[in-house]
Amino acid sequence: MQTKNSKISIKSYLLLSETLDEYRGTHEENRLFALKHNELTDHPKEMLLTWMQKHHFKVTQTSKSESFLHQLSTLGNFIGLFSFIFGFFAGIGLLSYSGEAPVNVIYYLLFAMIIPLLSIYLSIISLLSNQTISNFFSIFFPLHWVEKILGFFIVNEKVDSINKVFSPELKKWMFTSRLQLFSLLFSIGLLLALLFMVVSKDIAFSWSTTLQVAPVEFFKLLACIGIPWGESMPSAIPSVELIEMSHYYRLGGNLDTQMIQNADKLGAWWKYLAMVTLFYAIFLRFLLWLATRYGYQEQLEKDFLSLDGVAKLLRDFKTPYVSTEALKVETHLEIAEETNEQVTHDVSKDYHNIIAWNFSLDELTLVNDSKNIDSFFLNTVGGNHSFKEDQMVAQEAKEMVLLYVKSWEPPTMDFVDFLEELLENKNVYEVKVYPLGTAARHYESNEQEVAIWKRKIQGLKSKKVWVVDV
Amino acid sequence: MYSNEKKLNNNYPKFAVVGHPNKGKSSIVSSLALDDSVQIGDTPGTTQIKRGFPLKVDGKIIYELFDTPGFQRARRVLSWLNDQEPVSADKRSDVVRAFISAHKNDERFRDEIELLAPIMAGAGIIYVVDASKPYGPEYEVEMEILRWCGQPSMAILNLIGQEDYRDQWKSALGHYFRMVRTFNPIKATFTEHMELLDSMSQLKEEWTKPIKVAISVLEDLQEQKVEQSIESIVNNMLKTLSFVYTYSIRDEPATPDEEKQSKSAYREKIITYEKKQEKNIESIWNHRSIEKIENALVLDNVGLFSKESASIFGLSQQQLIITGASAGAVGGLGIDLLLGGGSFFLGSLIGGAVGGVGAMMGFDNLYEVKVLGQSIGSRELSIGPMQNLNFPYILLGRSLYHASVIAKRSHAIRENINLDNEEFFTEQIIDSEMRKTLEKVHLKLRKDEKPEEEELEAYKKVLMESFLSLLK
Repeated sequence: MQTKNSKISIKSYLLLSETLDEYRGTHEENRLFALKHNELTDHPKEMLLTWMQKHHFKVTQTSKSESFLHQLSTLGNFIGLFSFIFGFFAGIGLLSYSGEAPVNVIYYLLFAMIIPLLSIYLSIISLLSNQTISNFFSIFFPLHWVEKILGFFIVNEKVDSINKVFSPELKKWMFTSRLQLFSLLFSIGLLLALLFMVVSKDIAFSWSTTLQVAPVEFFKLLACIGIPWGESMPSAIPSVELIEMSHYYRLGGNLDTQMIQNADKLGAWWKYLAMVTLFYAIFLRFLLWLATRYGYQEQLEKDFLSLDGVAKLLRDFKTPYVSTEALKVETHLEIAEETNEQVTHDVSKDYHNIIAWNFSLDELTLVNDSKNIDSFFLNTVGGNHSFKEDQMVAQEAKEMVLLYVKSWEPPTMDFVDFLEELLENKNVYEVKVYPLGTAARHYESNEQEVAIWKRKIQGLKSKKVWVVDV
Repeated sequence: MYSNEKKLNNNYPKFAVVGHPNKGKSSIVSSLALDDSVQIGDTPGTTQIKRGFPLKVDGKIIYELFDTPGFQRARRVLSWLNDQEPVSADKRSDVVRAFISAHKNDERFRDEIELLAPIMAGAGIIYVVDASKPYGPEYEVEMEILRWCGQPSMAILNLIGQEDYRDQWKSALGHYFRMVRTFNPIKATFTEHMELLDSMSQLKEEWTKPIKVAISVLEDLQEQKVEQSIESIVNNMLKTLSFVYTYSIRDEPATPDEEKQSKSAYREKIITYEKKQEKNIESIWNHRSIEKIENALVLDNVGLFSKESASIFGLSQQQLIITGASAGAVGGLGIDLLLGGGSFFLGSLIGGAVGGVGAMMGFDNLYEVKVLGQSIGSRELSIGPMQNLNFPYILLGRSLYHASVIAKRSHAIRENINLDNEEFFTEQIIDSEMRKTLEKVHLKLRKDEKPEEEELEAYKKVLMESFLSLLK
């Protein structure tokens, strides 16, 4: 169960994406889930996480996100360690003092302040940049290369497909955030190297430049750089005197004698360099790292809600599930094929009995007149007639019987009961069921209606009864 | 039977759709329940058992419709009822109950019992007649039986055929039913559906509120379906128009056969996307068993352009140059550090330049290099994104037309759906003003760029407008 303020992690992001690839649930299932977790209604992310936890087991293939996260952390650890070691050895290299030429602080400042400030600036620019630049940055995304090269050799589709799950924007934040972390580790390595060298070696610091810079001007510049800690730690700002003393001219050939006499004072530079590293390379970087972590988290949460399938899931959670289907399954009615069995196309002009089912006597007379058919006995049955009346008509019928029916009214069992009674009468030789259309159609029935009558009559399996199809 | 009746006797409104065989009872239920699985046929007896179609919202039943078999031996039932000891009007329903009880195992009255059971369990009566055929007194027997049930009732005039005998029917039905309404389940619009529900709500005071709730739920559902349809169409447009098919080729240039094969695979994919989208629309509108007659999406005349590209380790030449330059610069920086700054970063600069230029110049040579017996380079032929300017509108026209036909189609229709005149609609539903908004998105997709959120919103809005105008 997720708390109402659960944070989205890259792992949960990937697991949800993976789960949604395999299973999205029906509206009914998802709505039911949301109703069961009513307390999370206003917390869509937490609801999604809970849903993912419930359904992740449905992912049948080996989890791609697990291997991706493993690769990401392995790669991250490796680059992190490398950055730290690289920073440490870069520091050692920068502070190497052979005893001949002193260590040029300007060169160190370049690594401890100028390059970090420049890269911080570039990072900020890239973060605020548009899609094209962010796409450019995605090329620098470490996994971009690893995935391409691994993918080439071992067809590592796992990583490739996972990588597609991330938007360029998220990749940019991921990359920038990790870049800040690696830079931070590099700077920590640099600082540790400085401390290590200061403790283990006697380093002579100097400043040297081809440009014509007066020591006072240089002091002003250094003091300006040291403003952040100048008030609280004045000893970590080199004095004008120290700056003058440590001005090194290569063309002078050897070290200034004054410098040698004040070697202990020259060492005081380290405090300033340490503070520069601490503030510009570590503190500012740390702040940017925190900011990028925040930005990354925000982007991750935003993208979490934009994952393919999430919109549907959230809609399912929110929208009442409406169903109208029947619970009972309907048995399929087998319809017999149409044949011409017991079908006649002939209608005689005379019948012993003409019986009309559900017609009035007037209607019957009109039909006879219209069809030019005559009979000794005319009867109407069905409708409002009683069973006794119908029974009497069935029993009294003889020889050839013509039975009018309304073609548009399908044969009911009530009609079948009457017909069976009529067929049981041994005096009746033949019954012709004549489906008639409406008066407006001049009693012409249509094919479809007659077909229904044919099927019903054929179903009775009697050789005495025929359907008239004219 | 009584235990079943008790089960049915819950507090929500219930309606039993009853009548003579083949008068469109199942069609009406199918249309009102938005369910095309109901068996509808011109053979009497298609409906053999009563089936309840509950309208459920989150599992809670708001109302329930019952599809029932038609009357088969109505005269015998009425005769049995009349043969019982005369009772006052308020006790007549007990006589009907007694009939059900006495004949529950009598095969002759199976249909009558199926249709009377829900009524005796409290369902309102919806008596369906075919008003395109003349009225006949034989119906009075059925209406009389229903009157014996003592439940609130209304009649529906269903016009199955071309003729119109509504006046005849109205004057006859008026004697038996409180309300008579015309409803053609095949042609009924959503508004007519809601109006019928509103009429049903008036049958009993206690039913008014739940039916009003149902109307509101169904109206919301209709809106959601419209939105989901547009979303589905937009998603398909984005997917189709930005689709790129890549095909590995042996050598440059691609052979005509390779080109033909990849173009055919591209077309196939686009057609599959459209079919999938159509299925999705049909499922949104709850049409699960539609047979369509339609013109297939023709892509033969749409010019498809292919592009060939090469890569090493999966990296394009541009990417490889960046990689080379970065790697060179890092290597050079190492040398700079070793020299303690004496090189003034020349190492990085030179390393970067060498790496970048090397990657640029050596791309073609590297391409042939084999590692572990496998060439590190690959060549691909890609088709897409679709560059044809008119294609998006053809696709949109087809999608909107299909969606509108499905959305308007009654669930009572069982005939095939004809979708072979969508080209006419393309011109009708997308005017030049709309094209301007749509074109912004199409242009980006052609360039393989992702449209902005606002552009997509505007795109959806335009499609929504044209879709709604088609639904009118």
